[in-house]
Amino acid sequence: MRHWTEGFDDDDADEPLVRPYTITGGRTAPERDDLTLITLVTAISPVSSETGHGLRRMQPEHRTILALCKRPLAVAEVASALNLPVSVTKILIGDLIESDQVRARPPLAFAQAGGFPGMTILEAVRDGLRNL
Amino acid sequence: MDYAISDHGDAAPLAVKILIAGGFGVGKTTLVGAVSEVAPLRTEEYLTHASVGVDDLKGVSGKSTTTVALDFGRITISSELVLYLFGTPGQERFWFMWNDLVNGAMGAVVLVDTRRLDVSFASIDFFESRGIPFVVGVNCFHGVRDRTPEEIRRALDLDPQVPLVLCDARDRAAGRDVLLALIDHLMAAQSRTAPHPVA
Repeated sequence: MRHWTEGFDDDDADEPLVRPYTITGGRTAPERDDLTLITLVTAISPVSSETGHGLRRMQPEHRTILALCKRPLAVAEVASALNLPVSVTKILIGDLIESDQVRARPPLAFAQAGGFPGMTILEAVRDGLRNL
Repeated sequence: MDYAISDHGDAAPLAVKILIAGGFGVGKTTLVGAVSEVAPLRTEEYLTHASVGVDDLKGVSGKSTTTVALDFGRITISSELVLYLFGTPGQERFWFMWNDLVNGAMGAVVLVDTRRLDVSFASIDFFESRGIPFVVGVNCFHGVRDRTPEEIRRALDLDPQVPLVLCDARDRAAGRDVLLALIDHLMAAQSRTAPHPVA
């Protein structure tokens, strides 16, 4: 007998087959509020074991994130690649942080601190732009 | 606050961002695409905002959700630093409430079209009121320069300290120069407020 999900299990995220919050198990708010659009996410180790404790509740999108983040990617880039809204993507990334499968590096936050970026950063950005 | 680039062996670089704002159709995505190392990416977010319906019999404000899309690009400055450019969505009344988009930005470029200066007023007001440093980029479509920078400045009621740069948003070098004008502006502000910055 064919199961109804047969043929649905490729990793093609271009056309979502389910409503976004179904992927998150109905959760609409991330458990952590420290992820920003430009928090950089890096997979800690390659996806090897399918039997690990943390992998049991994984959605295909979780695996896609792990594959994408072999090199550091911003939350916005991950959301764009998954074709999912940023808030949904943050919930999924939060799951992977909880299970120690990705590492998140927060950006420097200038506006929140009410300050300006330091000269070191500004000079680095200026020099980088000049080389464009 | 520690702004040092080097870190404790973290593999990921540091990320910084610049907002590219201005009204609908002024060339925000064009500018992002001109300077980004990748074709502009698109992402979207659900924004919940309070709405007060005139037909609401209970007289309470409801909440509605809007999907807002934005285009962004990336410039890898070095192995330690990545610059993201976010073109703000066209509908100001929505992205103004998108704190995650606005918070933590180094600064902003407000693009204006001389034929429709008014569509960028809201962006200028927004950055002024939030104290976020910005420069104005005058997008000269098709080489049209029908107004002098002084006239544009006056029409925008621009603070004399805010740089105004003529550009062509399609041109990589011109886009880069607008971003450099913002960095120079930030450096000037930095040296004014902190004579002895801690690197």
